[in-house]
Amino acid sequence: MSVLDRKLRRELFAHVWLLAAIAGIVLVGVACFVAMGTAYNNLTRAKTDYYRQCRMADFSIELKKAPRVDLRAVAELPGVTEIRPRIQFYATVDLEAAPEPLNALVLSMPDRREAVINDIVLRRGAYFSPGRGNEVIVNEAFAEAHGLAPGDWVKLLLNNRSQELYVVGTAISAEFVYMLSPGTIMPDAEHFGVFFLKESYAEDVFDFDGAANQVLGRLAPGTAVSTEEILDRAELLLADCGVFTTTPLADQLSNKYLSEEIEGLQTFAVFMPVVFLTVAALVLNVLLTRLAEQQRTIVGTLKALGYSDWQVFLHFLKFGLAVGLAGGLAGCGLGYLLAEWMTWVYRFFFVFPALENHFYPGRMLAALAISLGCALLGSLRGTRAVLRLQPAEAMRPAPPKRGGRILLEQVAFFWRRLGVGWRMVFRSLARSRVRSIAGVFAAAMGAAVMTSGFMMVEATYFLVDFQFKWLVRSDIELTFKDERGPDALLEAARLPAVARAEPLLNVACTFEHGHLRHEGGITGLAADAALTVPRDAHARPIRIPTSGLAMTRILAQILDLEPGDRVTVRPTKGLRQPRQVPVVEIADSYLGAAIYTDIEYLSRLIGEEYALTGVQLKVEPDPAARAELNRHLKQLPAIQGVADRRTMIQSLEDTIVLNMKVFIFVLVVFAGVIFFGSILNSSLVSLAERRREVATLRTLGYGPWQIGGLLLRESLLLSFFGTLLGLPLGYYLTVAMAASYESELMRFPVILSAATPATTALLALAFTVTAYLFVQRSIHRMDWLAALQASE
Amino acid sequence: MKGQPIFRLESVDRVFQMGEVAVRAIEGVSLEIFEGELLVMVGPSGSGKSTILNIIGGLDKATAGRVFFGDRELTSFTAAELTRYRRDTVGFIFQFYNLVPNLTARENVMVSTEISRQPMDVDEALRLVQLEERFDHFPSQMSGGEQQRVAIARALAKNPAILLCDEPTGALDFTTGKRVLRLLVDLKTRLGKTIVLITHNGAIAQVADRVIRLRSGQVVEVRENARPLPPEEVTW
Repeated sequence: MSVLDRKLRRELFAHVWLLAAIAGIVLVGVACFVAMGTAYNNLTRAKTDYYRQCRMADFSIELKKAPRVDLRAVAELPGVTEIRPRIQFYATVDLEAAPEPLNALVLSMPDRREAVINDIVLRRGAYFSPGRGNEVIVNEAFAEAHGLAPGDWVKLLLNNRSQELYVVGTAISAEFVYMLSPGTIMPDAEHFGVFFLKESYAEDVFDFDGAANQVLGRLAPGTAVSTEEILDRAELLLADCGVFTTTPLADQLSNKYLSEEIEGLQTFAVFMPVVFLTVAALVLNVLLTRLAEQQRTIVGTLKALGYSDWQVFLHFLKFGLAVGLAGGLAGCGLGYLLAEWMTWVYRFFFVFPALENHFYPGRMLAALAISLGCALLGSLRGTRAVLRLQPAEAMRPAPPKRGGRILLEQVAFFWRRLGVGWRMVFRSLARSRVRSIAGVFAAAMGAAVMTSGFMMVEATYFLVDFQFKWLVRSDIELTFKDERGPDALLEAARLPAVARAEPLLNVACTFEHGHLRHEGGITGLAADAALTVPRDAHARPIRIPTSGLAMTRILAQILDLEPGDRVTVRPTKGLRQPRQVPVVEIADSYLGAAIYTDIEYLSRLIGEEYALTGVQLKVEPDPAARAELNRHLKQLPAIQGVADRRTMIQSLEDTIVLNMKVFIFVLVVFAGVIFFGSILNSSLVSLAERRREVATLRTLGYGPWQIGGLLLRESLLLSFFGTLLGLPLGYYLTVAMAASYESELMRFPVILSAATPATTALLALAFTVTAYLFVQRSIHRMDWLAALQASE
Repeated sequence: MKGQPIFRLESVDRVFQMGEVAVRAIEGVSLEIFEGELLVMVGPSGSGKSTILNIIGGLDKATAGRVFFGDRELTSFTAAELTRYRRDTVGFIFQFYNLVPNLTARENVMVSTEISRQPMDVDEALRLVQLEERFDHFPSQMSGGEQQRVAIARALAKNPAILLCDEPTGALDFTTGKRVLRLLVDLKTRLGKTIVLITHNGAIAQVADRVIRLRSGQVVEVRENARPLPPEEVTW
């Protein structure tokens, strides 16, 4: 090790706490980059492998019923390489141990194992045996939630008949990485399962001999024709089979959630590090400028001794690089651990055959390069002064800093009122412009990170309240297999424990406005509905239109509609006649994109008098009555699904509360790192620059706390202005993020309550004071007599 | 005993621009420095002696005029050539020693040996200045005289032909100052170094082989000292 490196090492040790604080900022930035980047790689890799393994379909077409032979035409379409017709139905499961009826999706699989589209990955047991017909393979999560194992029997209500099925195995499939039952936003393995049946058995039990109601297809990679075009042609081709929906992979529910999560990770993997590393670079800049100034004479001496500019330059640069390297290395380590944790969390939400945390050397090297680059950028400006310094000039003491009046002094009436202390504070801030800007910038970033984080927390709680307490207020939602008449509502109202029952009619439709098109559905509600209450952006209830639609804002945007416009609605059931319907109201929704109208109006649109596809129930809270209701529901053959919303909301809230606690903790720590590092640095540099001044003040009789008070005032001012800037910055950041996250599936509300700025400001104050305590310690330890005598 | 001229200055000016004012530190300075001599430049502060020292040391550049080192023109050296020159040819000694505070005596000397082509042994350099017992002390643990001796060892350790001393005794008390002078005189006689020493202290000129007196940036007197006094006999 050369002597200069020894000098460097000792200087690094002498400033270890300050440097650790700055390295901490680099660390957080790099850790975010590595953690989110690694999680991104992990998910992408797992997804790609899994989709390949299961031969994931590129599209699916849902139809009423079609002979398999007729479906073959789809395979002939250019770009389509392979298709698989299959049977799919929703059903209910009756498990003795479960009090309530459970929902199930039933899918057909070939009798004999072959590598089909949307294949399954067996986890336990075996594939179907050649002998028995009524065999079933259960999705792993459901089986585990209910202790089902190969060899057990389960009872499913299939085509209105209760069927005993023999479990031969458990499996997972790439279609259900994120497994949602209809109408929920969180996977609920306990209440929703997927059951794979033998094709021959499914045909038999659903009266689908030689027929199917879904086509899965794969496309040639890099095919010139777009998926939408192929699907349009397929829809035309199958017009007679009653096509309900066509779904490209991009719209497949599980894939959509997964892809959006992956995309979001990528965005954050860039955004967070940029914030933190910019702050780190600025802070380093302040420190190194000071260091180079402080060591003027040493620089001159080294040059006089024959060190080249480059050698001296490099020596100072190494100081900054050491900080970058330390932060970078630690950040890589922490990032990897965080990725491990994130991947662990993802395993709760996403089901993969293997979702492992991997080490990506490329990402780590990139992270190191980024942290060193940031350190380099931060060090260059300060260190460059060393280059310019002529040795003879360097040996002379630095010229005194520019004095004179500052701008604020022109506001005479204000300035006159200030005591000497405040005047010193303002002058010091005005004269070290770069340092002040760095301080304000860092505080602004810290405050912005907190503001947008707290806003996200508030948004999450608001979203849950809006969606589950204000918009939809029922306890249980029943879905029927087919459309029913008004008698079904009466029947439901008579069920035990039911306090109120309201009808629901869901109709899948295609909407067209000009060249814009959207596939979705309309929900018909009773005119006096109290269990689903559509609301506007301010959560105020809106009227359910008796003629025309109340459309969710996001859909209105997609279709470019405003109240008063007319939209072409083509129902996929009933008469299927296109109708021109007016948009009357704009509703707000954060989950899904619903369209509401009066149930009688909607019935007429599909050519019925009064139809319903489900009922919403308000139920007595008494557990015994609930149990009685569940027993009844299990017996009802006409029911396709039962959604126990109470349980769902509870589990959702539990999950959210836990996640938010972790999120807030991480957020506050991150913001704290920024505040702390920046303030510590700027105060210590200020202190070092003013050793003489401090010493003089001490001889004049100032105590250490009084001197500390001056520095505290400087820090408080910087934090104050930074926070003032950071609050709106964080707000607009959240607005931008909400906009970029917006989709039909989910929208993020932008909520700003008084709590967010108040908490942000209080925390900013707390961080500033904490950093100040460290500075105060340095003041107490300062050898001010020596400072007074030293020739700077 | 006069050797070959090692430096030759021809009508050298140095002007410092201080804001809007141009300050002429030296004006039309012409002089020669000979190999193996101990030259003392005396003058009050502001007389331009430091400027001359810095120019011949390659720390500063003349505004006008020419400076020769042997037969090479120092004034036309590039920055890289100046660095090489400082590294291999001259050794600097400063009034305030300019030691690196967080390096020990030995390490401060190594600062110079590490970049030198033919360095002296570090310990030997320290023994030459009689600092054997202070090898591992930091500057803050040494007296001013000791620190200056470390600085001399640092300059010596590069094996330079010329030692340039900027008020080497300026920050030292009388006795310590004389010891440092003795050391410099010995270095000249024993090792044959050329030594240029600048001071405002006229008494020190008595130990010189030659004395150049400066005032207001100009040479006012050049005189040879027929019988230099040993440092021990000098008083001030």
